[in-house]
Amino acid sequence: MPRTIKVEIKRQSNPDAPVVIEKFEVPYRPNMNITSLLGEIACNPITADGKTTAPIAYDSNCLEEICGSCAMLINGKARMACSALVDKLQDGNPDEPITLAPLSKFPVVRDLAVDRSVLFQNLKSVKAWVPIDGTYDLGAAPRQFPQIQEERYPLSNCISCTICMEVCPQFNDSTNFVGAATIAQVKLFNMDPAGSVLKEERLRALAGDGGVQECGFAQNCVEACPKQLPLTEAISDVTREVIVQQVKDFFTR
Amino acid sequence: MATVAPPVSSATSPQRGVQPLRAGQGNSFLWRKLHSLSGIVPIGAFLVEHIISNFETWNGPLAYAKQVVFLNSLPLVRVLEWAFIFIPLSFHALYGVFIAFRGRSNVNVYPWAGNWMYLSQRITGIIALVYIVQHVWRQRFSGVMLPEHPGAAFAKVQHELSNPWMLAIYVIAMIATTWHFSYGIWLFAAKWGITPGNRARKRFGYVCAVLGIALCLMGLASIYAVVYKYPNAPENVLPETPAALVQPATATSAVSLTNSRSAAPRTTQSQPRSTPQS
Repeated sequence: MPRTIKVEIKRQSNPDAPVVIEKFEVPYRPNMNITSLLGEIACNPITADGKTTAPIAYDSNCLEEICGSCAMLINGKARMACSALVDKLQDGNPDEPITLAPLSKFPVVRDLAVDRSVLFQNLKSVKAWVPIDGTYDLGAAPRQFPQIQEERYPLSNCISCTICMEVCPQFNDSTNFVGAATIAQVKLFNMDPAGSVLKEERLRALAGDGGVQECGFAQNCVEACPKQLPLTEAISDVTREVIVQQVKDFFTR
Repeated sequence: MATVAPPVSSATSPQRGVQPLRAGQGNSFLWRKLHSLSGIVPIGAFLVEHIISNFETWNGPLAYAKQVVFLNSLPLVRVLEWAFIFIPLSFHALYGVFIAFRGRSNVNVYPWAGNWMYLSQRITGIIALVYIVQHVWRQRFSGVMLPEHPGAAFAKVQHELSNPWMLAIYVIAMIATTWHFSYGIWLFAAKWGITPGNRARKRFGYVCAVLGIALCLMGLASIYAVVYKYPNAPENVLPETPAALVQPATATSAVSLTNSRSAAPRTTQSQPRSTPQS
């Protein structure tokens, strides 16, 4: 009998529906990842006990860890489904089931798909962009020195997967912490020669409730980040600038 | 599978889950930073002073009594005590409990070093809080009043630590408090942007570890000195000397003040007060 992969998936058909665990057995192929596993289930959506069910709903797009869509809890830990390899997950224990669940700190839309729009709202509230859209030609952009580029480039790798927020003990509905990703984007755009025009506004925004101060420096964000962003360094740097800005504002505003 | 659009109702009904940043609103930034700063100055500074002062127990009851006399002779000492110890400490403790209960520790899922330290900072903080409440009550505000009777300090602590349970509590609290302080300095430096890079944080981690271990060992040595090095210490090594013998005759007001204080009912002295009021 060919080998199968046991999968247990936490499902709910809509945000208010009851949570059920469905078990599947998927034929093994070498070099599978969780996305291809979910694809196999979609081809043949029958549970391990023979019941026909709906294919698993989940977010995905690029399938190569660059779009940030497919973050989910794989064996309890937040990871990208596309870069989670079945062979490595099952390392030595091919009979051990793989568990899949939606990210725990975001409202579930359906099955493994969650609503991560809070990150988008946070990015908007700190103006994480370069304000160059206007009614007239702004001319050539200011020069960016290679040293600045080198510091900015790793931060620009953020794929908005929200794993840093999911793993953060301070990111919860009691603190409503903004999360590491937004703070890192503040550093990225504050270091942009053109984007820095909004620097003070970004720093003031981050001093609001749920801002940088809620960080407890557990450093899970930097451990879990699939793109290895220097998140703790960004939090340190941005917090220092927020403090300086708050002191300045205290005396001048 | 296509990206699922956010629920249509999110614009009208209140958003579920973690709420977005309240940009520029509220005062939690100020309170949180005051909490962070107060842990270093004045509370941390006081902790260092306290452990260094207590280390005088290594030199015996008399040396310790002299240290107590010195501290109580500081100008405005009661004002200093409230402004730089009790009030900041109460704020730090209460706001710290508030912070601790708003975190959702997840070391069971992500058992990483920083995550354990995050949890340890909350646990040691709670241990320190419970300990400090009983310590301040039992050693500062009840029993022999040490500001008035500095000579009784060593014996007071020795009686306290004669209970093996209390000794265990002091040892645990010493470790928890110095742990909380040394990791607190590290956190302060990391969060205020003093040590932003990984290398800086790592190096400063060694500095904090050395400082924390040194303070802890000093504290444990003081406990050892009180319990084992000077057993059966005299009740009061600086008995209130008969005032009339040492005070100049002219300073009558000072004499009466000293006498009226030493005549307080709760004094415990190894040597009876014999001199009558002059």
